[in-house]
Amino acid sequence: MFKDLDPILHTPLRLAIVSLLISVREAEFTFLKEKTNATAGNLSVQINKLKDAGYISVTKQFRDNYPQTLCSITPKGIKAFEEYVRNLQSYLQAGK
Amino acid sequence: MDEMQERLDLIESMIKRARNNFSESGHLYIVWGWVIFACCVVQYFAGNLMGYKQAYLVWWLCWTVVPYMIWYIRLQKRKEKVRTYTDEIMDSIWITFGISAFLIGFVIGTNIGQDINKVIVPVYLVLYGIPTLLCGVILRFRPLFIGGISCWLLSVASIFVDAQEHVLLIAAAMIAGWLLPGYLLRSRHRKEMAHV
Repeated sequence: MFKDLDPILHTPLRLAIVSLLISVREAEFTFLKEKTNATAGNLSVQINKLKDAGYISVTKQFRDNYPQTLCSITPKGIKAFEEYVRNLQSYLQAGK
Repeated sequence: MDEMQERLDLIESMIKRARNNFSESGHLYIVWGWVIFACCVVQYFAGNLMGYKQAYLVWWLCWTVVPYMIWYIRLQKRKEKVRTYTDEIMDSIWITFGISAFLIGFVIGTNIGQDINKVIVPVYLVLYGIPTLLCGVILRFRPLFIGGISCWLLSVASIFVDAQEHVLLIAAAMIAGWLLPGYLLRSRHRKEMAHV
């Protein structure tokens, strides 16, 4: 019996954000934008959705008088990501 | 099924992109390498060959590098767009090394006074080897790894060298452990930057 894939993570951009954050301690908004090639508006919307789901934490601060948005993955996000990858793998193995 | 494979590929590519971001410029290895190398050479020539008893005062030069190092690290952190777990581990290693180096010098110096000259160099060579080798492993950068081992071998070599000449072993450790790997790191960093 297959488990449903987490709809929050199944969107490519949200999955890309979580995949980047899983590898680092924290990342700036500009780093995520650069690596995902997403527009600032779309990225911002997807970050908020991940934040609302409790998968990532977002800290807004000022550095040298410029606003800075720092994102990091939460333990809930790590768990959801691991579960998502496990489910993906089981779907793929079943399809072979 | 294709969609599932695409998602897995996306995950893999993002993880690779995050990892590839890491780059060490080697700047502080070069700065510290030259400063300590210069101190060793000055102490050897002024102290041992020319007989200046105050030649050891040249080591105060190291303290002048500390404010520069703090300024440089703060500048790098300001430019930093991402902080990896590797960055955190490397910071901890060098902070631990700095505190240990200070404590060893202070504690041994206080306990044994002038005789410190006979033991301090082999101890420092062992100490230099630890962060150098660990950073070589973490960065997967063989020259640093070899540099760390060289520091330890030079520490063993101190058994066969007169204590008066020990300072030259530190100079050699700086070349093998910090300067050569530092310049190689810088060259790699510049190549990476050229491709960005």
